[in-house]
Amino acid sequence: MVYPFNSDHEMIREALSGFLQEWYENGKGPERIYRSGKAFDKEAWSGFSHDLGMVGVAISEDFGGSGLDDLGRVVVMEELGASLCAIPFLTTGGQVVDIISKIATTQFKKEYLPRIARGEIQGVFSSGHVGREKKCINSPNADTADFILISRLKNKLIEVVYLDASAPGLKINSKKTMDPTRSFCDVDWSKVSDTDFLLIGTVELDFFEDIISQSQIALAAECIGGAQKCLDMTLEYASQRVQFGRSIASFQAIKHRCADMFILIEAAKSAVYAAAVATEVEKTEAVLIAKAYATEAYFKVAGDAIQLHGGIGFTWEYPLHLFFKRARANRTMFGVPSEDYKLLADSILGDKS
Amino acid sequence: MSDLRINFSKWMKTHFCNEYECLRGRATPGDEDAFPGLRLKWEREMGTAGWIGIGWPTEYGGKGASLDEIVGFNEEYACHGGPGRAGHIGETLLAPTIIAFGTEQQKARYLPGIKAGTEFWCQGYSEPNAGSDLSNIKTKARLENNQWVITGQKIWTSLAMDSDYIFVLARADEGSKGRQGLVFLLVKLNQPGIKIRPIKQMSGTSEFNEVFFDEAVCSHNDIIGEVGDGWKIAMALLGFERGASTLGQQMTFADEFRQIVDLAKSNGSAKDPLIRQRIAKSYAGLKIMRFTALRTLEAAEKGETTKEGYISKIFWSSWHRDLGELAMDVMGNEAEILVNGEYSKLQKLFLFSRADTIYGGTNQIQRNIIAERALGMPKEPRGGGTVKEG
Repeated sequence: MVYPFNSDHEMIREALSGFLQEWYENGKGPERIYRSGKAFDKEAWSGFSHDLGMVGVAISEDFGGSGLDDLGRVVVMEELGASLCAIPFLTTGGQVVDIISKIATTQFKKEYLPRIARGEIQGVFSSGHVGREKKCINSPNADTADFILISRLKNKLIEVVYLDASAPGLKINSKKTMDPTRSFCDVDWSKVSDTDFLLIGTVELDFFEDIISQSQIALAAECIGGAQKCLDMTLEYASQRVQFGRSIASFQAIKHRCADMFILIEAAKSAVYAAAVATEVEKTEAVLIAKAYATEAYFKVAGDAIQLHGGIGFTWEYPLHLFFKRARANRTMFGVPSEDYKLLADSILGDKS
Repeated sequence: MSDLRINFSKWMKTHFCNEYECLRGRATPGDEDAFPGLRLKWEREMGTAGWIGIGWPTEYGGKGASLDEIVGFNEEYACHGGPGRAGHIGETLLAPTIIAFGTEQQKARYLPGIKAGTEFWCQGYSEPNAGSDLSNIKTKARLENNQWVITGQKIWTSLAMDSDYIFVLARADEGSKGRQGLVFLLVKLNQPGIKIRPIKQMSGTSEFNEVFFDEAVCSHNDIIGEVGDGWKIAMALLGFERGASTLGQQMTFADEFRQIVDLAKSNGSAKDPLIRQRIAKSYAGLKIMRFTALRTLEAAEKGETTKEGYISKIFWSSWHRDLGELAMDVMGNEAEILVNGEYSKLQKLFLFSRADTIYGGTNQIQRNIIAERALGMPKEPRGGGTVKEG
């Protein structure tokens, strides 16, 4: 009916959570990524894509994927969010797969989608201002991408083009970010020769709204996964920590804060799952709600988790700061919550502020 | 859409009209004193047509409706603006309890009156010193000459003024403590040993009452379960409210929200960016409530127990309280004015919603429940001794 998690989804969840747990709880956590200086966990990506075949969760079975819907991607993102695994699934398995699947020729799909599904190549979508500029700032994961999809205006049409990352003249400048598990890059293709671009297709403006919607659901799903992990860690810690001769989990001040975290997380889950299965008509609204609510919930829960851990939660050594930083990053990715609520208000009130 | 829902919708169209027109959207909490006589008549109208107890098994005169159908029924009722149901305590709480635990004699005696919309019930649980700590009740019941004789006091009894019967949780074993030694009794209200005093609330109305028992009686047959089963029965009764009415309640909320939006547009407060943000957040909350209810109901249909249902009470009560505050801010200074000297719908909403976060388990108790049952955290310690009163 409304929340049709089926056995496929459960299988993905189980396989992925097992893989990620093993990967991260044997000391290969995000801290390792931080030390490597690159927000890309190559080994995890290889296991994730090659061994588990997860990149293609939303790629059609005809092109080597598993052909699952938005809900399949939600499950993957929840698990990735819980582990902070530094792999470019949101960009490659999300936007790039969606764009190619929707507008590329069969030949292009045949050539690229199976390779993406196997994890051999990865890409990002870097959009200038509706294609008016030849650069894009703060494009996530562009520094490890093998190719870049770009939207540009040509003869009053919006074209989506493919550009190999090795194209002469292409500048990708990776910046240091507060959240070390996802890179932000400035991409500049103003010096790239026109012959290096490969046209994938032309689209209408609202095509990108659609693409962004899908990414917003995925981002929101990552938030509920991360928030759930923060609560789980807090419950675990609180049950072990003893002060005043009792477990701190027995203090009402702690219990009530955990209850509030639970309320936010469950409400956010309801919103995200509903957005993933919403009909065409309900989609825009459901996605705004899911993304605004889940990003805010994650940030609040991650902050609360640090508070309830006391001093240890504030240390570099303990991973909570990484969740807190990711939660902050997600709040402003694809727009800030107040902007989502503004759009929602415009639609409810039937006017513009 | 189920056949049942379609039939009910047709019936509402042809019956909820004319003299009942004035009941549209009325008798919600805070407005419970609206048209008492007419509302009881409306219940009989529903009962005669077979629309009370649709979820009961057919052998007791129900339609054996599925959870899905009951949800649809409640949505349809709210959709047509049906008034707050005077008989819901009997229909959705007591009747399932009698069906599950009652004797054949009790079923034959009490179910038909509930089903016909002619006999109304209220709930005698809370006492002045047993609110959140319900098991601390002191009301006594002793068996004497084949009758239970009851002495004590109940409080916060919803709709007692309009009811015919009360189910009472009382202490049968003198000296027993907590959940032990309790009985669950079915008691007629109209008798010399019972006095009802309405509690005037800050909304100016009186949904809640005090009920005083001074040697009130009921037959020895009017106990559900055995002596000592009282707590188990009382809790089972609360468990029968499975959230089927939640979606209907949300439609009432949606109407209130819509009214506030219309007001914000007409009085210009919708130009305020902060009011706009609050309207949007309120709307998001309303939708999330619905999504959460659907998750819970679907899991229940599949026979799964899930945890998100634990957030339902605190989420809606907090949301509704915020809505009341939003309503006042949208009205601005006009919120102060009593048109015709009476509280308007939005003023009542604002005032009564302060009770939402208290009755049926306060927000603080809800957080305890979530922490202990959903998150498995340690239980609250119980006081060892008695605290001196006065």
